[in-house]
Order: sequence, then structure tokens, then C-alpha cells
Amino acid sequence: MHRIRIAQVVAFAVFAMLLSVPAFAQTDFSGMWGQRYYEDQEERAPGGELGDFTGLPLNDAARLRADSWDASLYGIAEWQCRPHSALYMWRSVHPVRIWNELDPITGEAIAIHANFQDLLERVVYMDGRAHPPEEGPHTWTGFSTGKWEGDMLTVNTTHLKEYIIRRDGVPVSDRTTMAEHWMRHGDFLTIVQIVTDPVYLTEPFIQSTDFILDTHLQFVPELCEIEEETDHPHGWVPHRLPGTVHDSDDFAKKHSLPAEAVKGGAETMYPEYRGKLKQVKP
Amino acid sequence: MKRVWLVAAIVVGVAQAGSVPLMAHHSFAATYFEDKTQTIEGDLIQFQFRNPHSYVHLQAPDEKGEMQRWAVEWGSGMQLSTQGLSATALKAGDHVVITGSPGRNPDDHRLRMKSIVRPKDGFKWNGTFS
Repeated sequence: MHRIRIAQVVAFAVFAMLLSVPAFAQTDFSGMWGQRYYEDQEERAPGGELGDFTGLPLNDAARLRADSWDASLYGIAEWQCRPHSALYMWRSVHPVRIWNELDPITGEAIAIHANFQDLLERVVYMDGRAHPPEEGPHTWTGFSTGKWEGDMLTVNTTHLKEYIIRRDGVPVSDRTTMAEHWMRHGDFLTIVQIVTDPVYLTEPFIQSTDFILDTHLQFVPELCEIEEETDHPHGWVPHRLPGTVHDSDDFAKKHSLPAEAVKGGAETMYPEYRGKLKQVKP
Repeated sequence: MKRVWLVAAIVVGVAQAGSVPLMAHHSFAATYFEDKTQTIEGDLIQFQFRNPHSYVHLQAPDEKGEMQRWAVEWGSGMQLSTQGLSATALKAGDHVVITGSPGRNPDDHRLRMKSIVRPKDGFKWNGTFS
């Protein structure tokens, strides 16, 4: 009799545990996440310097476009309120609010939303749907689907608009795809991005970005207003003709680096390049 | 006692720097010569207190003495409001002296605000913004 009662208690306890454990989502990313500039503070906050292509596996076409790019573009009316695209938004100064969209019947997370200060809201579909056909619309958010790999959420994004991968004008094309790994360790969120672009990158570009759970963070939407910022005629397009500016040389001189090294490229990303650097004059 | 307030102010400042959302979708270093300084003096045409960045438009001579319409970039409305500034802080016609980092494109006639002074009443700002 005593043995039967113990078995009943154990069975009840197991049943109760099964009821309380989330059945689907391995990790809950819900909450307000504030930026933590443990790495790349300069790039994420005020923005990096012109001509700093270090660490980027870019090709000659990307280099040419970046050298022709003019930051004054952000001053024209059509650009002032552009959000960062999904691939760059993690690197911005904006916090992110993440929440699960649950199926009302099953309680299963059918989508995960990531809202960046109301400037961009990404939806990561978790219901197994397919990506749109190639000719589908390209947007700032792109189209994202997710799957669990243990406690890690892996997100695949397609259908992005052309954008920049660094705020000194290094472009990525609308054929760019992105794999992300979302990892939570306690109150820390780490996003690892693997960006692939057959047009401007010779190999995938990988970077990680950190956030911290912040229950006191005030999520203030920033309504963007378009105004005439500079005194240029309507239709003026900021640009710099190739060969007319040498900002990459300036960056190299300022930091006493070989000009060749700061122009980026896959070769410059790996430790073996140090050997070659020793033979190059600053 | 003063030291306690100083420490408290630093703690609050650091906490805010880590948590207050900021709006900076372009790179300042890519837009301006951050290591250079230029001063202009003239009459204010318009003060745009807004997001993503506020602007002070000024009619002032350039280095050649020719009058230009200058666009001086400032912090977002949200950032400036946390520093006690509002949309009525400056008015058209105000005579001001502005120091800032000159834009990389000289045709833009733009600066990134480092300080602004209105001699008439001593109004002054020389803070920071991201």
C-alpha cells in the first residue's frame, strides 16, 4: 500500500512537470534587450571611419562602390528615414524588443518578433513555411524563417534589399542571404550573423553582436521627420567619382597601416596575412 | 557630500549611456572631418528640433566671405530634450556662433555641432551627442 502511494506521488510529480515545461521553444528570447558595446563600439555607435574595409571579404566591385559612396546620401529627403536593413540593424544603436507569437490553441510559438524601436520589425516564422519564390518582393526586413538547434535559434533570411554592411558605404546586394544564430546565456543575448553575398563578397562575412536583458529600458519610438537638411537642388544625388578622393589612404595613414591592408579582402582577414604585412611598407 | 553627488551623477550618466536609445543611422566619421574644427557666425534661419537628428540652419559667411546657408547637425530631439533643450530653445533671427566639425563634402556647407553660443543672452551648449 505504501509502495503504491509513493508511485502515485512520483507519477503526479512527473505529470505536473510535463505540464509546466514549455513544449516547443527551447529558449525564450522575450524581453527588452539593450545594446552592449563590448566589441566594435566605434562602428555601432558614432560609426566607423571612411575607408576602413578591414575584416571584410569584399571584392573589387564592392571596393569601387564604397569609394564612390557619399555619406551625404543620408541627408537627402528620400534617405533620411530609411531604416537599417535586417542584416545591419543588429549593429545599430537601437535596442530590440523580442516576443513570441503563440498559436492560441497549441501554445506553440509560430513566429518570433524582433522590433527595433519601431523602426524595423522583423518576423521570424517558426511554422515551417517556405521562403517566397526568387521574384518575391525584397524588403528592409527580408523574409526570415527559424528553427531550433538545441537551445540555439537559427534564422535564415532572404529577400533583403540592397544595403551596406558597414557605414562607410561597403555594399551588399539584394542577392544577399543571412544565417543568424541567436544564443542566450542568462541575461546575455549574442547574435552571430553569417552574411553571404555572391555579388560583393568573396566568402561569407561573420560577426557577433551582444545585448543584455534590460527590464528598465524605456522603449521610446522615434518618429522620423523628413526635412530639407542641406541647400542642394531637388534631385541632387551625393556621390564621389572614383579617383577623386583617397579616404582609404587617409585612414591607413592615420593608423599607420599599409594601404593595402585596410582595403580589405578575404586574404587580409586571416592570421597568415601578418606574414605578408611584414613585407609591406606602411 | 559633493563627492556623493558627483559619484551619483557619474553612475546615472553611465547607466543612461548604456540604456537610452539613440538614433544614428549614418556614420559621423564618414560624414564629417571629426578631427577638424570650423566656426561660423550668423543669423539663424530655422531650428529643426526633430528625429533622427536636429538641425540648425544658419545664414553665415564661408571662409571666402560669401554668404551661405549652413546646416548644422545636432542630436536627436529625444537626446536634446534629456539635456534640457526644447523646440523653442532657438528662434529664427537669433544671432549665434557655432563651432563644429566640417562636412566632408564642402558643397554641403554642413557642420556637426560641437558648441553654440547666443551672445545676446548668454545661451550656451557644448555637450555631446551620438
